[in-house]
Amino acid sequence: MSAAAKIQAEEAPLLALSSVSKAFGGVQALLEVGFAVAPATIQGLIGPNGAGKTTLFNIISGFYPPDQGRIRYAGRDTGGRANTELVRLGITRTFQNVELFESMSVLENVMVGQHVQSRCGFWGALWRTPGVRREERKIRDRAMALLEFVGLGAVADDRSGDLPFGWQRLLEIARALAAEPRLLLLDEPAAGLNAVETRELATLLLRIKAEGVTQLLVEHDMSLTMEICDRIAVLDQGRLIAEGRPRDIQSDPAVIAAYLGVQTI
Amino acid sequence: MVARFLRRNWAYLVFLGGVGVTGCLVQNAYYFQVLTFIGINTLLALGLNLLMGYAGQISLGHAAFYGIGAYTTAVLTTTWGLSPGLALPCALAVAALVALVVGLPTLKLSGYYLGMGTLGFGMIVHILLREWTEVTGGASGFIGIPPLQFGPIAFTDPRAYFYLVWATVLLSFILSHRLIRSRVGRALRSIHDSEHAARAVGVDTQRLKLQVFIFSAILAALGGFFYAHLINFISPDSFNFLVSVRMVTMVVIGGMASVWGALLGACLLTLLPEWLHAFSDFEMLVYGLILMLVMILLPQGLTRGLLDAYERSRKNSS
Repeated sequence: MSAAAKIQAEEAPLLALSSVSKAFGGVQALLEVGFAVAPATIQGLIGPNGAGKTTLFNIISGFYPPDQGRIRYAGRDTGGRANTELVRLGITRTFQNVELFESMSVLENVMVGQHVQSRCGFWGALWRTPGVRREERKIRDRAMALLEFVGLGAVADDRSGDLPFGWQRLLEIARALAAEPRLLLLDEPAAGLNAVETRELATLLLRIKAEGVTQLLVEHDMSLTMEICDRIAVLDQGRLIAEGRPRDIQSDPAVIAAYLGVQTI
Repeated sequence: MVARFLRRNWAYLVFLGGVGVTGCLVQNAYYFQVLTFIGINTLLALGLNLLMGYAGQISLGHAAFYGIGAYTTAVLTTTWGLSPGLALPCALAVAALVALVVGLPTLKLSGYYLGMGTLGFGMIVHILLREWTEVTGGASGFIGIPPLQFGPIAFTDPRAYFYLVWATVLLSFILSHRLIRSRVGRALRSIHDSEHAARAVGVDTQRLKLQVFIFSAILAALGGFFYAHLINFISPDSFNFLVSVRMVTMVVIGGMASVWGALLGACLLTLLPEWLHAFSDFEMLVYGLILMLVMILLPQGLTRGLLDAYERSRKNSS
């Protein structure tokens, strides 16, 4: 996380998208989308259903390549790189429908999250050398620390699939943090949470920001988005229709017309 | 220090004691053969359990690796006159190599398609063993495989062979346990739960699936090696589709994702036919019925079922 702080001083964006396009069959999911995300900020990404938010997430996290356009992350072109490589470079994500390793314990989920941080391979595991044991202790301690950070330390040994939904969301965030990301992609983290849980989530995301982790946040909860995001990008039918500070987005006529419609905030 | 060692390893010590006492008590050569068969089947089930129970990838053709292990050592020791000590690493290496070549394309498949792919592979190997008469002896089998001898130590005595196989089982248990409780084991289980999320945390799922496939093939080939030198005669039908299915059954009945489940499954499926001889003509009928009942009553397998029953009884008594 100190590396992220260093980048911050340089003022260069951590993530810069330019003219990113993607089509599925005849459907244009994204068309020439471009914006930049400064280090250690929270960038919101909003838009009506089907606007292309999840598609953009999947492209940035390497689940599929863009048809066109450039993605620069931390000074590298990362468009089209394999997702395991991007995790190594510090991009991790959560899923809209929480995807935990349900049969495994809460602690083990976060331990798996450190996969790219540790080295022990197949044969190393079989011989179980002192180095491997040390690494194993380190992984366990760090996983425990992360669980304390998100407030799940008390349920470390429970089966993750048995957790209440709100806690599953927190666990998924802890697992994504375990890889020590510089860029954390959160796909609707507040979906399915009650008001109290949403408040706690907002506090957690701000604490993650304070640690120097940049976040890209897809979210439908407008008050949460407006409150914690430094900047917001608005997608509509695959196009970027606005990008700016929350206050400006709220008064942007294009956004009001296309997305907020007759609703008032 | 001693107390900690005992607490951590009590299961192995019980296992070791059980094997030791059994070896001393049994006198009959036939019983030794049955017990040795259980050991061999445990090796098969253990490898397949890592693949199926932990990584969640099915193989319906694992008897092929069992057969490759058996036939490689048969050809090397009988036709070429190599010592079994040299044939053993060769047999394991051949199985590993075949697993690599077969696994590379097939493990990209999942679910039913992986089942079909491995099923086809198993059939091809079976046909190869039957038709490649000059090398394998064809359908009539391969005769005259020498008894096992490592340097000056011969394992002609059934008791010695029994101890050798079960020592190997114990070693495989320890290695498997280590694997499961490591970073690699966690990654394997993560693939089982959600391959999507496993990729999202940076697990190279293809590579890992291939590695565990190769490891399970090596264990199966090890079983084949012991089998060939135990009964000194092998034929292709000992490695056909039904044997693959029996291996899968051992894993499922014993309990998926449990090292000890492999032992239970292997015990049950080896002993059951022996006990059911009493039913003569109805043997297969009763056999199938018992398997059905186990699956209906204990869908998680014997290990999980017994553990649950134990926990229930403890709760009730307290």
